[in-house]
Amino acid sequence: MKALAQVVAKLSHVPGVVAAMIVGAKDGLIVETSLVADSTPGGTDPRKHTAALAAYLYSKVVRASDAARLGTPAFMRLEAERGHIFVVGAGDVVVVTIVTTDANLGRVRLEMMTAARDNS
Amino acid sequence: MTDPTVAEPWVAAPLTRLKEDARLISGVLLYPSGRAVGQFGFANAADVMSICALTSAINASARELGRQLDGKPFYEMHHAGAERQVFMARATAGAQEFLFVGVFDRESSFGVVEIYFAEFQKALERLHPEKQATGVGPSGDFEGELNRSLDALFGPIGKR
Repeated sequence: MKALAQVVAKLSHVPGVVAAMIVGAKDGLIVETSLVADSTPGGTDPRKHTAALAAYLYSKVVRASDAARLGTPAFMRLEAERGHIFVVGAGDVVVVTIVTTDANLGRVRLEMMTAARDNS
Repeated sequence: MTDPTVAEPWVAAPLTRLKEDARLISGVLLYPSGRAVGQFGFANAADVMSICALTSAINASARELGRQLDGKPFYEMHHAGAERQVFMARATAGAQEFLFVGVFDRESSFGVVEIYFAEFQKALERLHPEKQATGVGPSGDFEGELNRSLDALFGPIGKR
């Protein structure tokens, strides 16, 4: 299994990825994270909130998918006004990225799926 | 889910918000002395009385443990059980200190509870009436204080 720091570093170098995180699937706590360019020292860390809520949302998506008899969700994409949040499940953790609107979404998705597969 | 019952009306809105946002099953807000300020998820006073006494004791023990192990008190605790989890933390509003204990299950997560507890803490700071900042320290009459607060939450004994 690749070191989690390596996974996060690789994802964070994909153009358009603002932040990449490995988050506990059950507790929503950050296991590993990249730096955020515009974070302010002493300010509220937006990654903590995003990590917890993205993991929470993903757990609901898993249940919705199961209820619809679709099996395990492969990829979750949340499209917002100023960017996207991507989540992929990888066993006990979820891989979360915050992505700009102009990013190559296909490449981010591919890199995340590969990271999740390598770490499952 | 029932709305919170409170001994002090100003905590009702923050408690309701915390309960709903963090998807908590039950929770109690109390003074470190063990006096209950508000609760949700409990139907009888005896349960709240036990929780207040235990939380107060756990908080005192955890602080002392923190001081001995780390040189500073522990203010937050989390216990993950097989089905349910307990979150216990300190909140402050002005000079006043509070303790909160909440229970959640798979409908929530520790990360989510932590986030909304931080917002709850900010709401307490914002809404806390200055006049109530004094007079809530331990009076030495633990049982009396606890019973008075339970009367406020559930009504006097005999009517509960």
